Amino acid sequence: MMTLHKKLKHHYKNLLIALALVFVTVLSGLAFMAADDSLMCLAIINLLLIVHGILNQGSISGLLKFFSVQLVLTLVLYWLIHGEAKLLDGALVVFRIMLAVIPGWWLTLVCEPQRIGEVLAWIMPHKWAFVVSASISLLPFMGREVKEIYQIQIMRGARITPKHLRNPKNWSELIYCVLLPTLIQLLKLSQQMATSATNRHFSQRTKPVYWRNP
Amino acid sequence: MKIFESFNLKDALFIGFCATLLVVIKGSLRLKLGISGHSMFLMTFFYIICFGVVGRVGAITACGMIAGVMAMILGIGKGGPLILLKFLMPAVAMDIGVLLFAALTPLHWRFVAIALCGCIAWAVKGLIGDLLLGMSLEVGLTKFLMSLLTGGIFTVMGAWLVVPVIHRLKAHDLISVKIK
Repeated sequence: MMTLHKKLKHHYKNLLIALALVFVTVLSGLAFMAADDSLMCLAIINLLLIVHGILNQGSISGLLKFFSVQLVLTLVLYWLIHGEAKLLDGALVVFRIMLAVIPGWWLTLVCEPQRIGEVLAWIMPHKWAFVVSASISLLPFMGREVKEIYQIQIMRGARITPKHLRNPKNWSELIYCVLLPTLIQLLKLSQQMATSATNRHFSQRTKPVYWRNP
Repeated sequence: MKIFESFNLKDALFIGFCATLLVVIKGSLRLKLGISGHSMFLMTFFYIICFGVVGRVGAITACGMIAGVMAMILGIGKGGPLILLKFLMPAVAMDIGVLLFAALTPLHWRFVAIALCGCIAWAVKGLIGDLLLGMSLEVGLTKFLMSLLTGGIFTVMGAWLVVPVIHRLKAHDLISVKIK
């Protein structure tokens, strides 16, 4: 009985996430499509999302930074091309950009990453769902590997510290010193994983089975 | 859909890892140079590496799809389903480029041509978005040309670096396919 209850709860949560995904897509899309006079409604919904996001320990500093950069860039262009009269139009465009961006920000705050992955697996072929979940579980490993290679190459004298990287001339060094060894690792790793998955009869059943955290 | 099913598991995993690496580096490096288009550098590089290693049409689209999904899951950039388009559109354009420029030699130039297809798609996507948002045509076109220029420079840089990397991977005997 207990397990059935748990299972239902699990499905219910995934359904909510799927709904949230659709909701966010529609809301972002509306920011592009909606007429000017219905923007107010959208703005109110987005305001609620921001409040909810902040209540969920979200930080809006990134959002504000993005907003100010967009505002300055667009307004300068409008001012140069159309003069002062159309500045308000430019501001409206930036306002719409924000309305398109806020739902995504909210989604990443309120949904756990692995749940989004689980929901996406409903519509993906199972081989690719496996690839995505393998990549996610390998993230810490990859991060460690890249960091290690990066540190060691700096010790060897590669010009890849953040200070050096401000000069685009040094970017090729980053590719040869860090990315190339990482790619070699990844190639090796994908070969090993593919072999071990095939040895465990991956993709030989018509109905795939999953291992879940008990 | 069939073409994506037909990748063998090793290639599929490599494409997935490349996409993940792209998304993670993009998220953690945050090259805040204030120039639009620097994201095209990493994107071009990884997409064409995928093509170089797997050597098949469809590899780049698959990589873009996975990158978009990963970015959505990890909440990189501004998150949300729209980011899927951001990764997918250049990828599809590059795959079309692979078909169009299949006979172009040497490899350097073919990769640059393929990459520029992606860059154009990326800039067009920006233009369509801006126009839908109600931006005036003049401002939209100015932004489009600006991003085409800056994005193009980064794209060419990214594509140019792929060939030596592919050669080195071959030297390590890690690539078995040969791009004609």
